[in-house]
Amino acid sequence: MAIATEQKPIELILARSLLDSLHTPGCLIDLEGTLVYYNETVAKLAGISFEETGPMSVAEWGEKFGPFDEEGRHIPFDEHPLTLAVRDGRAGHYIQRFRSADGGDFEVAVSAIPLVGTTGFEGALVFFWPARGR
Amino acid sequence: MRVRIWGARGSIPAPGPHTARYGGNTSCVEVTLSDGSVLVLDAGSGIRDLGSSCAEVDLIHILLTHLHLDHIQGLLFFAPFFRPETEIVIWGPPVPGRSLRDRIGRYLSAPLSPIEIRSLPAKVSFRKCPAKEWEIGSARIRAAPVKHRGPTLGFRISDADTSLCYLPDHEPGLGVPLNDVEPDWISGFALAERCSLLLHDCQYTDEEYSGRVGWGHSRVSDALLFAHRSEAEQVLLFHHDPLHTDDELDLLHRQAGERWLAVGGPAGELAMAIEGSEIDLRTDGTGYAEGPGLAPS
Repeated sequence: MAIATEQKPIELILARSLLDSLHTPGCLIDLEGTLVYYNETVAKLAGISFEETGPMSVAEWGEKFGPFDEEGRHIPFDEHPLTLAVRDGRAGHYIQRFRSADGGDFEVAVSAIPLVGTTGFEGALVFFWPARGR
Repeated sequence: MRVRIWGARGSIPAPGPHTARYGGNTSCVEVTLSDGSVLVLDAGSGIRDLGSSCAEVDLIHILLTHLHLDHIQGLLFFAPFFRPETEIVIWGPPVPGRSLRDRIGRYLSAPLSPIEIRSLPAKVSFRKCPAKEWEIGSARIRAAPVKHRGPTLGFRISDADTSLCYLPDHEPGLGVPLNDVEPDWISGFALAERCSLLLHDCQYTDEEYSGRVGWGHSRVSDALLFAHRSEAEQVLLFHHDPLHTDDELDLLHRQAGERWLAVGGPAGELAMAIEGSEIDLRTDGTGYAEGPGLAPS
Protein backbone atom coordinates (compact mmCIF):
# COMPACT_ATOMS: atom_id res chain seq x y z
CA MET A 1 0.00 0.00 0.00
CA ALA A 2 1.32 3.45 -0.88
CA ILE A 3 1.88 6.05 1.82
CA ALA A 4 -0.17 9.18 1.28
CA THR A 5 0.85 11.11 4.37
CA GLU A 6 4.15 12.89 4.85
CA GLN A 7 4.91 13.25 8.54
CA LYS A 8 5.82 16.69 9.83
CA PRO A 9 9.34 16.88 11.31
CA ILE A 10 9.33 15.30 14.77
CA GLU A 11 10.68 18.55 16.24
CA LEU A 12 7.52 20.36 15.10
CA ILE A 13 5.27 17.56 16.33
CA LEU A 14 6.87 17.66 19.77
CA ALA A 15 6.74 21.46 19.84
CA ARG A 16 3.03 21.42 18.98
CA SER A 17 2.43 18.98 21.83
CA LEU A 18 4.24 21.39 24.14
CA LEU A 19 2.20 24.36 22.91
CA ASP A 20 -1.03 22.43 23.44
CA SER A 21 0.01 21.87 27.04
CA LEU A 22 0.88 25.51 27.77
CA HIS A 23 -1.22 28.50 28.69
CA THR A 24 1.61 30.71 27.38
CA PRO A 25 0.61 31.90 23.92
CA GLY A 26 2.79 30.32 21.26
CA CYS A 27 2.93 29.35 17.62
CA LEU A 28 5.05 27.37 15.17
CA ILE A 29 6.57 28.58 11.93
CA ASP A 30 8.02 26.05 9.50
CA LEU A 31 10.98 26.29 7.13
CA GLU A 32 9.05 28.25 4.50
CA GLY A 33 7.63 30.65 7.04
CA THR A 34 4.21 29.03 7.03
CA LEU A 35 2.31 29.46 10.28
CA VAL A 36 1.67 25.77 10.84
CA TYR A 37 0.11 25.96 14.29
CA TYR A 38 -0.88 28.26 17.13
CA ASN A 39 -2.39 27.35 20.46
CA GLU A 40 -5.66 28.38 22.07
CA THR A 41 -4.11 31.25 24.02
CA VAL A 42 -2.89 32.83 20.78
CA ALA A 43 -6.34 32.25 19.36
CA LYS A 44 -7.76 34.42 22.16
CA LEU A 45 -5.25 37.19 21.35
CA ALA A 46 -5.81 36.94 17.62
CA GLY A 47 -9.56 36.58 17.90
CA ILE A 48 -9.68 33.52 15.68
CA SER A 49 -8.90 29.86 16.29
CA PHE A 50 -6.47 27.64 14.41
CA GLU A 51 -9.41 25.40 13.66
CA GLU A 52 -10.88 28.30 11.67
CA THR A 53 -7.75 29.51 9.88
CA GLY A 54 -5.74 26.33 9.42
CA PRO A 55 -2.10 26.74 8.33
CA MET A 56 -1.34 30.10 6.70
CA SER A 57 1.39 31.09 4.28
CA VAL A 58 3.73 33.99 5.14
CA ALA A 59 1.70 36.30 2.93
CA GLU A 60 -1.60 35.24 4.51
CA TRP A 61 -0.65 35.58 8.16
CA GLY A 62 1.45 38.67 7.53
CA GLU A 63 -1.47 40.45 5.93
CA LYS A 64 -3.95 39.26 8.53
CA PHE A 65 -1.98 39.69 11.76
CA GLY A 66 1.17 41.67 10.99
CA PRO A 67 3.61 42.56 12.43
CA PHE A 68 3.33 46.29 11.74
CA ASP A 69 5.65 49.17 12.53
CA GLU A 70 4.67 52.25 14.55
CA GLU A 71 3.20 53.88 11.42
CA GLY A 72 1.10 50.83 10.77
CA ARG A 73 3.18 49.61 7.84
CA HIS A 74 3.56 45.90 7.34
CA ILE A 75 7.07 44.59 8.11
CA PRO A 76 8.14 42.05 5.43
CA PHE A 77 8.83 38.61 6.91
CA ASP A 78 12.20 38.21 5.18
CA GLU A 79 13.43 41.52 6.60
CA HIS A 80 12.15 41.08 10.12
CA PRO A 81 14.90 40.93 12.77
CA LEU A 82 13.34 37.81 14.29
CA THR A 83 13.41 36.00 10.94
CA LEU A 84 17.03 37.00 10.41
CA ALA A 85 17.98 35.90 13.92
CA VAL A 86 16.27 32.52 13.71
CA ARG A 87 17.64 31.76 10.24
CA ASP A 88 21.06 32.55 11.66
CA GLY A 89 20.54 30.00 14.42
CA ARG A 90 19.93 32.59 17.15
CA ALA A 91 16.97 33.35 19.37
CA GLY A 92 15.41 36.78 19.12
CA HIS A 93 13.20 38.94 21.29
CA TYR A 94 11.30 42.04 20.09
CA ILE A 95 8.26 44.08 20.95
CA GLN A 96 5.86 44.13 18.02
CA ARG A 97 2.48 45.45 16.95
CA PHE A 98 -0.04 42.90 15.71
CA ARG A 99 -3.64 43.10 14.58
CA SER A 100 -6.40 40.85 15.80
CA ALA A 101 -9.15 39.46 13.61
CA ASP A 102 -11.52 42.23 14.73
CA GLY A 103 -9.08 44.87 13.43
CA GLY A 104 -7.75 46.10 16.77
CA ASP A 105 -3.98 46.59 17.11
CA PHE A 106 -2.09 45.44 20.17
CA GLU A 107 1.52 45.42 21.29
CA VAL A 108 3.18 42.24 22.46
CA ALA A 109 6.71 40.98 23.16
CA VAL A 110 7.78 38.13 20.87
CA SER A 111 10.46 35.52 21.54
CA ALA A 112 11.47 33.28 18.65
CA ILE A 113 13.62 30.19 19.12
CA PRO A 114 15.10 28.23 16.19
CA LEU A 115 14.23 24.53 16.08
CA VAL A 116 17.27 22.64 14.86
CA GLY A 117 16.85 18.88 14.55
CA THR A 118 19.23 16.11 13.61
CA THR A 119 18.79 16.98 9.95
CA GLY A 120 19.05 20.74 10.39
CA PHE A 121 16.83 23.80 10.77
CA GLU A 122 13.13 22.88 10.89
CA GLY A 123 11.46 26.16 11.83
CA ALA A 124 10.84 28.32 14.87
CA LEU A 125 8.94 28.12 18.12
CA VAL A 126 7.50 31.55 18.91
CA PHE A 127 6.17 32.76 22.26
CA PHE A 128 4.25 35.93 23.07
CA TRP A 129 4.49 37.89 26.32
CA PRO A 130 2.98 41.07 27.72
CA ALA A 131 4.87 44.01 26.21
CA ARG A 132 4.99 45.96 29.47
CA GLY A 133 5.34 45.05 33.12
CA ARG A 134 2.15 44.88 35.10
CA MET B 1 7.70 -11.50 4.30
CA ARG B 2 7.81 -13.63 7.43
CA VAL B 3 7.82 -12.04 10.88
CA ARG B 4 8.90 -13.88 14.00
CA ILE B 5 8.71 -12.48 17.50
CA TRP B 6 11.77 -13.28 19.61
CA GLY B 7 11.00 -10.79 22.37
CA ALA B 8 7.94 -8.65 23.03
CA ARG B 9 8.59 -7.45 26.56
CA GLY B 10 9.42 -3.83 27.34
CA SER B 11 11.93 -2.17 29.64
CA ILE B 12 13.63 -5.18 31.23
CA PRO B 13 13.51 -8.96 30.75
CA ALA B 14 10.78 -10.53 32.84
CA PRO B 15 11.42 -14.28 33.06
CA GLY B 16 9.46 -16.56 35.31
CA PRO B 17 6.39 -18.72 35.58
CA HIS B 18 4.00 -15.75 35.52
CA THR B 19 5.26 -14.50 32.13
CA ALA B 20 5.98 -17.81 30.42
CA ARG B 21 3.13 -17.71 27.90
CA TYR B 22 3.75 -14.23 26.47
CA GLY B 23 7.47 -14.45 27.10
CA GLY B 24 9.92 -12.39 29.09
CA ASN B 25 12.53 -11.39 26.52
CA THR B 26 12.85 -7.77 25.47
CA SER B 27 12.27 -6.43 21.96
CA CYS B 28 13.56 -8.45 19.05
CA VAL B 29 11.75 -9.28 15.81
CA GLU B 30 13.15 -11.30 12.91
CA VAL B 31 11.95 -10.41 9.43
CA THR B 32 12.70 -12.78 6.56
CA LEU B 33 12.21 -11.05 3.23
CA SER B 34 10.88 -12.59 0.04
CA ASP B 35 14.45 -12.92 -1.33
CA GLY B 36 15.63 -14.66 1.85
CA SER B 37 17.41 -11.64 3.34
CA VAL B 38 17.25 -11.40 7.12
CA LEU B 39 16.49 -8.23 9.06
CA VAL B 40 16.48 -8.05 12.83
CA LEU B 41 14.46 -5.31 14.45
CA ASP B 42 16.08 -4.35 17.75
CA ALA B 43 18.51 -6.34 19.83
CA GLY B 44 16.78 -6.89 23.13
CA SER B 45 17.39 -10.10 25.06
CA GLY B 46 15.30 -12.00 22.50
CA ILE B 47 18.16 -11.78 20.01
CA ARG B 48 20.10 -14.39 21.97
CA ASP B 49 17.75 -17.20 20.95
CA LEU B 50 17.53 -15.82 17.41
CA GLY B 51 21.30 -16.01 17.14
CA SER B 52 21.37 -19.74 17.63
CA SER B 53 18.74 -20.24 14.93
CA CYS B 54 20.46 -18.35 12.10
CA ALA B 55 23.85 -20.05 11.98
CA GLU B 56 23.70 -20.37 8.20
CA VAL B 57 23.00 -16.71 7.46
CA ASP B 58 26.03 -14.86 6.07
CA LEU B 59 24.64 -11.32 6.12
CA ILE B 60 22.40 -9.93 8.85
CA HIS B 61 21.03 -6.42 9.08
CA ILE B 62 20.10 -5.24 12.59
CA LEU B 63 17.86 -2.18 12.65
CA LEU B 64 17.81 -0.42 16.01
CA THR B 65 14.92 1.91 16.79
CA HIS B 66 16.94 3.52 19.58
CA LEU B 67 19.65 2.71 22.06
CA HIS B 68 17.77 2.23 25.31
CA LEU B 69 19.17 -0.81 27.06
CA ASP B 70 16.16 -3.05 26.46
CA HIS B 71 16.76 -2.67 22.71
CA ILE B 72 20.50 -3.40 22.66
CA GLN B 73 21.16 -5.54 25.72
CA GLY B 74 21.18 -8.77 23.69
CA LEU B 75 23.92 -7.68 21.28
CA LEU B 76 26.74 -9.21 23.26
CA PHE B 77 24.97 -12.56 23.30
CA PHE B 78 24.15 -12.74 19.58
CA ALA B 79 26.07 -15.80 18.35
CA PRO B 80 26.70 -14.53 14.78
CA PHE B 81 28.98 -11.83 16.23
CA PHE B 82 31.40 -14.62 17.05
CA ARG B 83 31.53 -16.15 13.56
CA PRO B 84 34.29 -14.60 11.40
CA GLU B 85 32.44 -15.45 8.17
CA THR B 86 29.33 -13.49 9.14
CA GLU B 87 28.77 -9.90 8.09
CA ILE B 88 26.53 -7.81 10.34
CA VAL B 89 25.33 -4.33 9.51
CA ILE B 90 23.87 -2.35 12.41
CA TRP B 91 21.58 0.54 11.51
CA GLY B 92 20.52 3.11 14.07
CA PRO B 93 19.11 6.59 14.58
CA PRO B 94 21.28 9.50 13.44
CA VAL B 95 22.44 11.76 16.24
CA PRO B 96 24.77 14.73 15.77
CA GLY B 97 28.13 14.49 17.46
CA ARG B 98 28.90 10.90 18.27
CA SER B 99 28.87 8.02 15.83
CA LEU B 100 26.53 5.05 16.21
CA ARG B 101 29.53 2.83 16.84
CA ASP B 102 30.75 5.09 19.66
CA ARG B 103 27.35 5.21 21.30
CA ILE B 104 26.88 1.44 21.19
CA GLY B 105 30.48 1.11 22.30
CA ARG B 106 29.53 2.66 25.62
CA TYR B 107 27.69 -0.58 26.33
CA LEU B 108 30.04 -2.96 24.51
CA SER B 109 33.15 -1.93 26.42
CA ALA B 110 34.64 -2.05 29.92
CA PRO B 111 33.44 -1.95 32.60
CA LEU B 112 29.99 -2.98 31.29
CA SER B 113 31.24 -5.65 28.91
CA PRO B 114 34.17 -8.09 28.83
CA ILE B 115 34.38 -7.78 25.03
CA GLU B 116 34.73 -4.68 22.89
CA ILE B 117 33.39 -4.13 19.40
CA ARG B 118 36.80 -4.39 17.79
CA SER B 119 37.26 -7.83 19.36
CA LEU B 120 34.16 -9.32 17.74
CA PRO B 121 35.19 -11.90 15.11
CA ALA B 122 32.36 -11.05 12.71
CA LYS B 123 32.60 -8.28 10.13
CA VAL B 124 30.56 -5.58 11.87
CA SER B 125 29.72 -2.18 10.44
CA PHE B 126 27.54 0.66 11.66
CA ARG B 127 25.33 2.94 9.58
CA LYS B 128 23.00 5.80 10.34
CA CYS B 129 19.51 5.25 8.97
CA PRO B 130 19.06 7.64 6.05
CA ALA B 131 16.29 10.20 6.06
CA LYS B 132 15.08 8.87 2.71
CA GLU B 133 13.85 5.40 1.86
CA TRP B 134 16.57 2.84 1.13
CA GLU B 135 16.79 -0.78 0.10
CA ILE B 136 17.95 -3.90 1.85
CA GLY B 137 17.55 -7.09 -0.14
CA SER B 138 14.09 -7.14 -1.65
CA ALA B 139 12.72 -4.61 0.85
CA ARG B 140 12.36 -0.87 0.84
CA ILE B 141 12.99 0.55 4.30
CA ARG B 142 11.68 3.82 5.57
CA ALA B 143 12.71 5.24 8.95
CA ALA B 144 11.27 8.27 10.69
CA PRO B 145 11.76 9.85 14.10
CA VAL B 146 8.87 9.16 16.48
CA LYS B 147 7.72 10.29 19.91
CA HIS B 148 9.66 8.54 22.64
CA ARG B 149 12.32 9.60 25.10
CA GLY B 150 15.54 10.33 23.22
CA PRO B 151 16.23 9.97 19.51
CA THR B 152 14.00 7.10 18.37
CA LEU B 153 12.98 5.76 14.98
CA GLY B 154 10.04 3.78 13.71
CA PHE B 155 10.38 1.57 10.63
CA ARG B 156 8.25 0.62 7.68
CA ILE B 157 9.46 -2.36 5.70
CA SER B 158 7.82 -2.94 2.34
CA ASP B 159 8.43 -6.12 0.40
CA ALA B 160 6.45 -7.74 -2.41
CA ASP B 161 3.23 -5.80 -1.82
CA THR B 162 3.25 -6.36 1.92
CA SER B 163 4.39 -3.94 4.59
CA LEU B 164 5.36 -4.13 8.23
CA CYS B 165 5.36 -1.10 10.51
CA TYR B 166 7.40 -1.42 13.69
CA LEU B 167 6.78 1.12 16.48
CA PRO B 168 7.77 -0.68 19.68
CA ASP B 169 8.37 2.40 21.83
CA HIS B 170 5.94 5.12 20.93
CA GLU B 171 3.71 7.63 22.69
CA PRO B 172 1.84 9.34 19.82
CA GLY B 173 -0.93 10.57 22.10
CA LEU B 174 1.37 12.66 24.29
CA GLY B 175 0.00 16.20 24.37
CA VAL B 176 -2.38 15.79 21.41
CA PRO B 177 -5.88 14.38 20.98
CA LEU B 178 -5.27 11.50 18.58
CA ASN B 179 -8.88 11.32 17.51
CA ASP B 180 -8.99 14.67 15.74
CA VAL B 181 -5.44 15.91 15.06
CA GLU B 182 -4.46 15.96 11.36
CA PRO B 183 -2.62 12.77 10.21
CA ASP B 184 0.61 14.57 9.26
CA TRP B 185 0.86 15.81 12.85
CA ILE B 186 0.62 12.31 14.31
CA SER B 187 3.98 10.79 15.12
CA GLY B 188 4.47 7.56 13.15
CA PHE B 189 1.26 7.85 11.16
CA ALA B 190 2.96 7.97 7.76
CA LEU B 191 4.92 4.83 8.61
CA ALA B 192 1.84 2.92 9.68
CA GLU B 193 -0.60 4.15 7.07
CA ARG B 194 -2.43 1.15 5.58
CA CYS B 195 0.38 -1.24 6.42
CA SER B 196 -0.22 -4.97 6.33
CA LEU B 197 0.94 -5.45 9.91
CA LEU B 198 1.51 -2.92 12.68
CA LEU B 199 3.56 -3.81 15.75
CA HIS B 200 2.79 -1.07 18.24
CA ASP B 201 3.66 -0.16 21.80
CA CYS B 202 0.88 -0.94 24.26
CA GLN B 203 2.73 -0.98 27.54
CA TYR B 204 0.10 0.45 29.84
CA THR B 205 -3.55 0.09 30.66
CA ASP B 206 -5.41 3.40 30.59
CA GLU B 207 -5.51 3.36 34.40
CA GLU B 208 -1.74 2.88 34.68
CA TYR B 209 -0.99 5.54 32.06
CA SER B 210 -2.21 8.42 34.18
CA GLY B 211 0.88 8.01 36.38
CA ARG B 212 3.26 7.46 33.45
CA VAL B 213 2.46 10.25 31.00
CA GLY B 214 5.59 11.26 29.10
CA TRP B 215 7.48 8.05 29.79
CA GLY B 216 7.45 7.33 26.06
CA HIS B 217 4.91 4.50 25.91
CA SER B 218 1.29 4.11 24.92
CA ARG B 219 -1.84 3.29 26.81
CA VAL B 220 -4.25 0.81 25.27
CA SER B 221 -6.74 3.39 24.03
CA ASP B 222 -4.07 5.44 22.23
CA ALA B 223 -2.50 2.36 20.63
CA LEU B 224 -5.90 1.30 19.30
CA LEU B 225 -6.84 4.78 18.12
CA PHE B 226 -3.51 5.12 16.34
CA ALA B 227 -3.94 1.71 14.70
CA HIS B 228 -7.49 2.46 13.65
CA ARG B 229 -6.73 5.91 12.23
CA SER B 230 -3.73 4.61 10.30
CA GLU B 231 -5.91 1.80 8.86
CA ALA B 232 -3.41 -0.92 9.62
CA GLU B 233 -4.74 -4.22 8.32
CA GLN B 234 -3.49 -6.28 11.27
CA VAL B 235 -2.26 -5.12 14.66
CA LEU B 236 0.02 -6.78 17.17
CA LEU B 237 0.21 -5.09 20.57
CA PHE B 238 3.85 -5.06 21.67
CA HIS B 239 6.32 -4.02 24.39
CA HIS B 240 4.46 -5.57 27.29
CA ASP B 241 5.07 -4.06 30.69
CA PRO B 242 7.46 -6.25 32.74
CA LEU B 243 5.04 -6.06 35.67
CA HIS B 244 2.19 -7.55 33.65
CA THR B 245 1.68 -11.25 34.21
CA ASP B 246 0.23 -13.58 31.59
CA ASP B 247 -3.17 -13.39 33.25
CA GLU B 248 -3.07 -9.60 33.24
CA LEU B 249 -2.07 -9.57 29.58
CA ASP B 250 -4.98 -11.91 28.83
CA LEU B 251 -7.28 -9.39 30.50
CA LEU B 252 -5.65 -6.48 28.64
CA HIS B 253 -6.14 -8.43 25.41
CA ARG B 254 -9.84 -8.98 26.08
CA GLN B 255 -10.40 -5.34 26.97
CA ALA B 256 -8.41 -4.16 23.97
CA GLY B 257 -10.45 -6.45 21.72
CA GLU B 258 -13.70 -4.92 22.96
CA ARG B 259 -12.37 -1.38 22.49
CA TRP B 260 -11.02 -2.25 19.07
CA LEU B 261 -14.47 -3.28 17.91
CA ALA B 262 -15.94 -0.19 19.59
CA VAL B 263 -13.67 2.18 17.61
CA GLY B 264 -14.59 0.34 14.42
CA GLY B 265 -11.53 -1.88 14.05
CA PRO B 266 -11.96 -4.96 11.87
CA ALA B 267 -12.85 -8.06 13.88
CA GLY B 268 -10.12 -10.63 14.27
CA GLU B 269 -7.26 -8.35 13.27
CA LEU B 270 -5.99 -7.39 16.72
CA ALA B 271 -3.70 -9.67 18.71
CA MET B 272 -1.03 -9.64 21.35
CA ALA B 273 2.60 -10.17 20.39
CA ILE B 274 3.77 -13.44 21.86
CA GLU B 275 7.33 -14.65 21.97
CA GLY B 276 7.88 -17.50 19.52
CA SER B 277 4.95 -16.66 17.27
CA GLU B 278 5.23 -16.10 13.53
CA ILE B 279 3.20 -14.29 10.95
CA ASP B 280 3.56 -14.92 7.26
CA LEU B 281 2.51 -11.79 5.40
CA ARG B 282 1.21 -12.89 2.05
CA THR B 283 1.10 -10.88 -1.12
CA ASP B 284 -2.67 -11.31 -1.31
CA GLY B 285 -2.88 -9.03 1.72
CA THR B 286 -3.67 -11.68 4.30
CA GLY B 287 -1.56 -12.77 7.18
CA TYR B 288 -1.16 -16.30 8.41
CA ALA B 289 -0.26 -16.72 12.03
CA GLU B 290 1.53 -19.66 13.57
CA GLY B 291 2.91 -20.54 16.93
CA PRO B 292 1.72 -19.99 20.44
CA GLY B 293 -1.01 -17.46 21.01
CA LEU B 294 -1.75 -14.84 18.40
CA ALA B 295 -5.39 -15.72 18.86
CA PRO B 296 -7.26 -12.72 17.57
CA SER B 297 -9.71 -10.88 19.75
